[in-house]
Amino acid sequence: MIGGGNAGLAAALTAGGLVERVLVLDRGPAALRGGNTRHTRNIRCAHSWSDTYSRGTYLFAELWQDLCGVGAGPSNEKLAELTVRESEHVPAWMTGQGVRWQPPLAGTLHLGRTNRFFLGGGKALVNTYHRALAQLGVTVRYGVTVLDLLLDGDRCTGVLTRDGVVPARAVICASGGFEADIGWLRRYWGDAADNYLIRGSADNDGQVLAALYAHGAARAGQERGFHAVAIDARSPRFDGGIATRLDSIPFGIVVNRDGLRFYDEGEELWPKRYAIWGRNVAEQPGQIAYSLWDAKVRGLFLPPMYPPVSAGSVRDLAVALGLSPDALAATVRSFNTAIQPGGRFDPAGLDTCATAGLSPAKSHWAQPLDTPPYYAVPLRPGITFTYLGVAVTEQARVLRTDGSVLRNVFAAGEIMSGNILSTGYLAGFGLTIGHVWGRIAGTEAARAR
Amino acid sequence: MLDELFTEAERQLNICNSCRYCEGYCAVFPALERRTLLAPGDITQLANLCHDCQACFHACMYAPPHEFAVDPPRILSAVRLASYDRYLPPVGWMRPGWPRGWPARAAAALLVGLGLLVLAGAASGLGALWRHGGPYQVVPYPALLVIAALPTAWSVAVMVRGFALYWRDVHGPLRGLADWRALGTALAAAARLRNMRGGGEECYAAGDDPSPARRLLHGAVAWGFAACFAATVAAAFLQDVLGSPPPYPLLSVPVVLGTAGGLSMLAGCAGLIALKRRGGPPGQEVIGQRVIGQRVIEQGVADYGLLFGLGLLALTGLLTLLLRATPVFGLILVIHLATIVVCFAIAPYTRFVHAGYRFLALVADAIEQRRAGSVV
Repeated sequence: MIGGGNAGLAAALTAGGLVERVLVLDRGPAALRGGNTRHTRNIRCAHSWSDTYSRGTYLFAELWQDLCGVGAGPSNEKLAELTVRESEHVPAWMTGQGVRWQPPLAGTLHLGRTNRFFLGGGKALVNTYHRALAQLGVTVRYGVTVLDLLLDGDRCTGVLTRDGVVPARAVICASGGFEADIGWLRRYWGDAADNYLIRGSADNDGQVLAALYAHGAARAGQERGFHAVAIDARSPRFDGGIATRLDSIPFGIVVNRDGLRFYDEGEELWPKRYAIWGRNVAEQPGQIAYSLWDAKVRGLFLPPMYPPVSAGSVRDLAVALGLSPDALAATVRSFNTAIQPGGRFDPAGLDTCATAGLSPAKSHWAQPLDTPPYYAVPLRPGITFTYLGVAVTEQARVLRTDGSVLRNVFAAGEIMSGNILSTGYLAGFGLTIGHVWGRIAGTEAARAR
Repeated sequence: MLDELFTEAERQLNICNSCRYCEGYCAVFPALERRTLLAPGDITQLANLCHDCQACFHACMYAPPHEFAVDPPRILSAVRLASYDRYLPPVGWMRPGWPRGWPARAAAALLVGLGLLVLAGAASGLGALWRHGGPYQVVPYPALLVIAALPTAWSVAVMVRGFALYWRDVHGPLRGLADWRALGTALAAAARLRNMRGGGEECYAAGDDPSPARRLLHGAVAWGFAACFAATVAAAFLQDVLGSPPPYPLLSVPVVLGTAGGLSMLAGCAGLIALKRRGGPPGQEVIGQRVIGQRVIEQGVADYGLLFGLGLLALTGLLTLLLRATPVFGLILVIHLATIVVCFAIAPYTRFVHAGYRFLALVADAIEQRRAGSVV
């Protein structure tokens, strides 16, 4: 198992029950094991039942529809459908591994039906899986970097690690996307990639993905496909995770470095829109934007992890942010005057506060920025994971460009998410892909000869 | 020092409040989520609400060696300890730290023991020590009353003062405490150690694998202590109301309660000490260089002190009962009484006070929860 995230661990737990010797290679140190899974918190699975943790049913057809509704829809309908169908078995399997559940977190109640939250989040999940692996007698090695796969025709005989060769009868690649390799991102995004922050592990540099390509593996997914959200620009370059996200956007306005608004901040309920703001900011000059709000709405949303920049006037705020005071003041002035009178502000739902005759409009929660002090936080695109990966069969076998398969090489998780996701993202579906394909790969790898 | 702790706690808790993954573990995180700004009183309250199960530390992707270096149990533990000191009388020899450390305690116990011996000798002649009649043949009742009541009254006064100051800092006027529903909720949470359960995952006292051991052992100590207290009350009732002086028969209320309580305390204290030793030696770790595991339940020597003190109380009490028909009864009684006097006198300076502060934190939390619930 190359990779110790949810896909690799699900594969190892499945294979560990079927064959005698399973080895998990996690590139990170023990304290940071689990890769990007450390930053997860819920999983989206179809279910025809309802309980304390999944309130109300969420049938195959609805999840399928939701998946088709994001971005350009599924890349490979057959594999996407298989993912949705298999997702129904995942929660019970997780419970069987010792995973504990909790009701939806505060601020995520809207996900209470579609997404199931595990107690303590992703690192707790990883710890639980490691306990289950220990009981199965599966060996885990930390700090192991896989450089290449050793191939003999269409068979893999082992992997080359920085510390030597590990022979293997079957190999599962569950090593994630390539988002931590800025150079690779630059191929598709140009210099803009230098301004991207990576929300997860700095180890996800796509080394195994590149090795698979070198061995003729076929591509799946779009080069620019990724899941990105707008995060605090002051976050660390890597591994900032959930804490660096920002929930202030619907409560004020967002401007780019020219002091201009560029997207409807109140288009939809925030949880339904937060995933598009990564791309929104990525498309702005310098890949930076600024979320602005005033004293009126302070306390209505989660406080940012880093204290916001504040000033007594819009012009002073512009100076503090390094923006043109004239431009920002003009933007705020035209925004304030475009607000239709008589709206009733309601942070809990789609309210009636909107602008008129302004482009772009603000459709909800439009209140004038007029109450000092004014606050701002700089935003950057925060990439969660990339979609471009290897094409696989329904047995998770890696496909080659000539249409043949690598007989005993499998892929699961983000490294093959491009088979399913094209451009958009559905909260909690990364874990669904990891678990479904981890289990398939684990089963098939155990059978491989 | 305290300001630095508050600043660091605020930094970490702001990260927690942006993440919220841990809110299923205990009352600390929901309480944190009800606050957007953290004043020192808020941090003190959260620190005392924390039961140090460490589930959040083990679940935290920002724990060291991550650069955010988030470790709520550790920082809250430090704030909690500092808060105990803060609510002690600020004058001279009453200052925190005075009775800490083994030499001071051993000297105090020895001194009191000697005092009791002298007293016993003066009152009944040293020969009384080798007789095995009732305890008052060894130390006369009025003398005993004074010897035990003085330090107890002192300790109670110091602790009640601290509790009142705490309540004012974290909640407000004292009359807010007369909230029977909140008191009931807090009592239920305390009795079952609800916040030590890690949301069902249990406590990580012994390392990387959670288990109910600490919660059960703590329960054994607490319930044992309560039983011993009840035994004392029952004995006082038998003696002062029903006029039946000790010693009491084996199947009497004081002896049964005292024996059960003593055994429970002894087992609980021994178990907790073993658990702490397995968790690793205190004060050895450095933030930023720690591996998973090797955790300490709560840092510092004082926690061991409380466990050894309570264990000693239980042990000497049980021995007094066991040996009451032998020639060493007088001696062991004097040792037991000296232990009681010393333990009672130093109680406000030990972790014993955690019971009071945690209970008040639970009461304040119950009131807050109800208010938050009624707003929605």
